[in-house]
Amino acid sequence: MDPILTAFGLVFDPSVMLVILGAAVFGMFVGAMPGLTATMATALLVPVTFFMDPVPALGAIVTATAMAIFAGDIPAAMLRMPGTPASAAYADESYLMARKGQLDLNLGVNVVFSALGGIVGVFFLVLCAPSLAEMALNFSSFEYFWLACLGLTCAVFIGTGDPLKGFVSLLLGLAIVCIGIDPAAGVPRFTFDNVDLMSGVNFIAVMIGAFAVSELLRGAVDLHRQGHVIVPQVGNVFRGVGGVMRRYWLNFIRGSLMGTLIGALPGAGADIAAWVSYAMAKRFSRTPEKFGTGHVEGVVEAGASNNSAVAGAWIPALVFGIPGDSITAIVIGVLYMKGMNPGPTVFTENPQFIYAVFIIFILANIIMVPLGWAAIKSMKQVLRIPRTILLPLILLFCIVGAFAMTNSNYGIVLMLIFGVLGWFMEENGVPVAPMILGLVLGEMLEQNFMTSMIKSDGLWLAFFERPIAGALGALTLLIWLLMLGRGALTALRRPAQA
Amino acid sequence: MRVNDAVLGLALLLLAGTMIWLTTYFPSFPGQDYGPELFPRLLGGGLVLCGLLLVGRGLAARRRGEAWVELAPWWFRGGQALSFLSMPLAVVAYLLFAETLGFIPLAFALLLALFLWFGERPVRAVPVALVATLVVHWFFSGMMRVPLPRGLLNDIL
Repeated sequence: MDPILTAFGLVFDPSVMLVILGAAVFGMFVGAMPGLTATMATALLVPVTFFMDPVPALGAIVTATAMAIFAGDIPAAMLRMPGTPASAAYADESYLMARKGQLDLNLGVNVVFSALGGIVGVFFLVLCAPSLAEMALNFSSFEYFWLACLGLTCAVFIGTGDPLKGFVSLLLGLAIVCIGIDPAAGVPRFTFDNVDLMSGVNFIAVMIGAFAVSELLRGAVDLHRQGHVIVPQVGNVFRGVGGVMRRYWLNFIRGSLMGTLIGALPGAGADIAAWVSYAMAKRFSRTPEKFGTGHVEGVVEAGASNNSAVAGAWIPALVFGIPGDSITAIVIGVLYMKGMNPGPTVFTENPQFIYAVFIIFILANIIMVPLGWAAIKSMKQVLRIPRTILLPLILLFCIVGAFAMTNSNYGIVLMLIFGVLGWFMEENGVPVAPMILGLVLGEMLEQNFMTSMIKSDGLWLAFFERPIAGALGALTLLIWLLMLGRGALTALRRPAQA
Repeated sequence: MRVNDAVLGLALLLLAGTMIWLTTYFPSFPGQDYGPELFPRLLGGGLVLCGLLLVGRGLAARRRGEAWVELAPWWFRGGQALSFLSMPLAVVAYLLFAETLGFIPLAFALLLALFLWFGERPVRAVPVALVATLVVHWFFSGMMRVPLPRGLLNDIL
């Protein structure tokens, strides 16, 4: 049977639709709660999807993340508190619009352009992924080794302000993967004869710790500062959106393209896409002086951008098994758990799942408009849930979720260690995301590295002999040189300033 | 808790040193030049490099007057520090007592304690803790078949 038809059958199953709807509501809620991020939503969803079939599991994650990235815009405009970091870039702008009496227009623009931007991202996902996968079928361990290197380098280069600390985080992540049975020779490493450590470090438990528990630690400190919030009244949000579309369609297109591209780059996700697009909107605007006074132009571009990045991040994840951001890093873990190892072969072996993901993505962006409208209308109730109730509840979810990953206390121990470690790292300017990418890609990197070393009998030149591998390798080395140069420059300049 | 980069760097050097030292105990295979120790050693080398750079940077910052360890002001306000610690302490308590007490009594007690500590009124805290415990138990134990510890309620459940 045609895989596309099979995919439609898989998605439009009542129970799958129910899961998607539930995930959408969950995503809206988490996204709209300031302090809870889209990544956290995904990390908390994984234990729940653990026992589902692949399609509802992936559907739940796709829908929840798309919704969460949009929903973060709502409290940004109403209270100047971005619900997720992806909305931070234009939170001030949105809030100023609301102060000028344009709250309705702002929210309408946010929901409509989020959905449209998301659809553009999906369009490129559908367009690029299969053809890239066809190319990737010819890849050998050399290409994959460089691809993983390039991905990890990008994660450090783009995603962090301090490349040195980014590298520290990445190397820590890669080192943690070494715990357990080594993938090439099958020798236990750093296990200290502990049975739990033999199975390796469970990556989902680590994620729950690093992304959710560390957030709870920060939240618990700020709890006493929380004041009473006043949610403003919302009228008809869709009035005037058409006019904005006619006037700023170029911003929408540029934002969506930029978002897709940044999303597809490993290590950079929706939040960076939004920052870049907002800056670009200002740079190319005919009226840059209006930015920062409550101007809709930047909101259009950045709002479309962060949602298109959500889909863009799936391109390298599905094709190469290299995550585009921390959310797809979790997705790759889920794909492995479901026995559909990401990479080009998944397009030939399980095409129906790939098409199902595409369909769910489109669906999620379509239902975003009515659900987003409902979320805006019910914002008063959502924001009334006090964090004093929410934080302990999330902690309980974390505990049970981490337990479910290993069916033992080992998962909880991992969660606790990495929760505190993640909090400590962030406090000291060491980003957590490169560590997670290192954790996800570590095994693939080592496996391809060892295979290549054995194949070439230790000859480093062999890593550059095949044309694509050579190009990827040269590119990676070039980026490393650039980083070193930049580091040396700042080191030289600093004493001069002091 | 902000730590001077030199302290971070030193910790990394220690970690990397231990890692590389442990790899010397890995078995080697005759005729195979690249064994399980190669990759960890490369990573260890990278960590040593990063550690050295951090130590250098940290010492420079120290000369400009940065403290070795700097605690945020909330550490010295009893309430906030305890709120921070309450989260990991709750997890530790769960780890210690889950087997003997079982999920339902323990989760209820922990939720209730945290709600009350965070300043929630008992009228709201007790029912929310009870309902949340039962819903989570129903969902994970019943629907997802996660073997949550039964503990005291072993005979009833």
